[in-house]
Amino acid sequence: MKYPHPIKISRALAGAGILTLAGAAHAAGPTNQQLQKQIEELKALVTSLQQQVQARQAPAADTAKGATAEAVVVAPGLDATDKIESATKADIDGLRTDLENYKYEQKRNRETKTALTTRGTTIGGSVQVRATAQEQASRAGSTALAADRHSSFDIPQATLNFSGSLYRDYSEGRNLDYRLAFAYAKTSPGTDASQLNATDAYIRYSPFPTLTGLEDPRLTITLGQQQIPFGLEAQIGEELRPVINSAQFLGGLGVGNRQIGLIVRGDYDPYVDYGFNYRAPLIEYAFGVVNGSGPNKSDDNNSKDYLARLAFTLPVDYFSLLRELKVGVSAYKGTKNLTAGTTPAVVGQTKRDRYGFDIYYNHAPFGITYEYAEGRDGVVGTGADIKSRGQYVTAFYTWGEQWVASSRAQAKYDDYWPKSYQLFARYDIYDPNRALANDKSKIATAGFNLFFAETTKFQINLNHYQYENPAQRSANELLAQFQFGF
Amino acid sequence: MNSSRFRSLAALFGAVVAGTLAFAVPSSVLAQDKPKVIRISYSSAGTGGRPIVGGSTIATAHQQGALEKEFAKDGIKVQWTFNPGAGPATNEQLANGLADFAHHGDLPIIIGRSTGLRTKILFSYTRFGAAYITGPIDSPAKSLEDLKGKRLAVFKGTASQLALGRILKKNGWTERDFKTVSMDGDTLRAAIATKDVDGGFIAPFDLESRGVGKLIYSTGPDPELASQGVFWVSEEFERKYPDIVQRVVTTLIKVAAWGSDEKNREAQYKLWSNSGTSYYEYQKTYLDVPLKWRLSPLLDEYFVENLKKSIVQAKEFRLIRRDVDINGWLAPQYLNTALKELKLEGYWPEFNAAGKPKLAQK
Repeated sequence: MKYPHPIKISRALAGAGILTLAGAAHAAGPTNQQLQKQIEELKALVTSLQQQVQARQAPAADTAKGATAEAVVVAPGLDATDKIESATKADIDGLRTDLENYKYEQKRNRETKTALTTRGTTIGGSVQVRATAQEQASRAGSTALAADRHSSFDIPQATLNFSGSLYRDYSEGRNLDYRLAFAYAKTSPGTDASQLNATDAYIRYSPFPTLTGLEDPRLTITLGQQQIPFGLEAQIGEELRPVINSAQFLGGLGVGNRQIGLIVRGDYDPYVDYGFNYRAPLIEYAFGVVNGSGPNKSDDNNSKDYLARLAFTLPVDYFSLLRELKVGVSAYKGTKNLTAGTTPAVVGQTKRDRYGFDIYYNHAPFGITYEYAEGRDGVVGTGADIKSRGQYVTAFYTWGEQWVASSRAQAKYDDYWPKSYQLFARYDIYDPNRALANDKSKIATAGFNLFFAETTKFQINLNHYQYENPAQRSANELLAQFQFGF
Repeated sequence: MNSSRFRSLAALFGAVVAGTLAFAVPSSVLAQDKPKVIRISYSSAGTGGRPIVGGSTIATAHQQGALEKEFAKDGIKVQWTFNPGAGPATNEQLANGLADFAHHGDLPIIIGRSTGLRTKILFSYTRFGAAYITGPIDSPAKSLEDLKGKRLAVFKGTASQLALGRILKKNGWTERDFKTVSMDGDTLRAAIATKDVDGGFIAPFDLESRGVGKLIYSTGPDPELASQGVFWVSEEFERKYPDIVQRVVTTLIKVAAWGSDEKNREAQYKLWSNSGTSYYEYQKTYLDVPLKWRLSPLLDEYFVENLKKSIVQAKEFRLIRRDVDINGWLAPQYLNTALKELKLEGYWPEFNAAGKPKLAQK
């Protein structure tokens, strides 16, 4: 409801009074006395209106005078010549012209000097620039006519990704999102050319609200090529892994490979500490169905692979010592083709199952992660399954503000970024066939990460490789790399 | 590469790491008689995430460079961190050892203490401010009751959530009578403009002047419903550097006296409006209460009783899970010394538990 302005009421009353007086005069043929009376009444009315106008103008003038007087009080941070002045019509017209010019310039620049997309899109990526020194001679990754080498400069990784919302729900955040990512890969044997392979290509829908509060559960449905929810490291993007080389079992058991399929991820009963904006879901779950044949391929048989993961996070406050203590289990039930013969042919299918257990604890400055993964692969004929096993433990000590969300989000004018440091040690064992002796490999890594910009870090890893196979000599390797994101 | 060359490289690796570590060891772990830097965390940020704020004595001190001038002669740097994440972000910084002093609303510091954060309250910086519920310009709501069952936004974990709880309780409701969602100030302003919420806990004046928002409810300056803010020091810093704490408090109280002087009202608004919140909004939101009341630093009877009441209400509204004991939490000695040194005893009126002035002011 709008309340009428007092000055408008006065004007209406005055107008009504004048019309009444004028109407009365016209109808009755007034005498001189009546006319004189009407003139007196009109005079009184005009005087009353003048008083009202003066009454409204006086406080405004007083305020302006007072404000001017106060504004010239010299205060720290103020200019002593500051005055409160009224804008003229010319000032406002000038401002309007400036605004129109600015709008025109912005529109033209947007059309002619910026990249436009059909939907709001974020473009990102990362690049690794690495120097390697190794005791053991290698020819890997080079041309077919290479000689042994002990050192090399490499670009082991370059990624490019696009992501955004296909439908953005501003009120509750039930968004329909997408991601398309590519990764550079060397040809093998190496040539001057390189490949650009699709890594992520999926569409994701959030049926539950994501904006209504931290205490609400989350759920996403993802269809397409994506990382699988197995353990810890397999779910982390390449650009975020703390150690330069991934844990051995990721490649050995294939759980680090992307798969094409449908995966549901969600959580239940989050513990929320609003005092720190901290959210720890009591239960995180994921389940799905995928081809199982890896990325960029159709299914290689008529069976689908099934996966599930369940993780439990301790429901404690942010300031608790047990914050971010999480225990998870993962399972992957797969089917693979069996081949036989000198010209390999599919002779049947058998199981390709993976099981995992993991512990995650990250309470700055200390953190520790442990993962255990086991593989069970069927074989041709009636032989026993091949059982494989991989596990690693990583302990790290971190200081700096890189992982403090409020520091990352702090208000700043320029590109300030705090330096952060991380020391870590990892021990990684992988046994591809537990029934066989002498096939186990162990890698001990000491490392240091220096984060000196929002998306850039310098990493040094010293790896010691140890093999059970007496034919393979233990070896050391020093890796140093810059990894930058954009 | 032979083994000896590799060992040389490995030694180089060790040297690089050791050198970096020596350079990187936080100065706070080294014993010193004075800090190299005083880190102040501010539970707010300017519009659009700019590191400049308004609306408090601490904001005025930042813009005037008062602390920087005070500690320049000692070579002590003053580092300000402005948190768009408000009080919860400041709690996170203290929990990670990144804040020595901070400006905080009542709820986040109560939550912080309930979970074990160790702070000492030095002085108050705001009280008696009105609370507002603002809706989109064409909202049919004429009262808070009209918003029942609708989307009501508040920045959860901040003093606003506790203030909203008080308002709802006064009307016999709880948050569950509304679809409450959490939004920070910038997000909430945008959501009101785009009509993605039906109402939000935010002052209406900037939004009204832009023609996108309208006032639905205001408490006015009600001592029963108003929030209060505190300036604190971490217990660790206070234990190590009590002299520095005193100088910080004295400097800020001097600024508070300047800011509480009515003749500086407009000048202070002008400073504050550098934050992106308009001069007009400060004019309107600070209109009803004398500055000596509104910006009082006193830890008087009203402050203490209001703090106790806030703790009880935070528990009642299930915003904290544990009791909070205020014994030993307040450190009024620094404020008292500052008032004496600056001859400002009696400058700000003391208030009783009901929010009524007790003594005549200077």
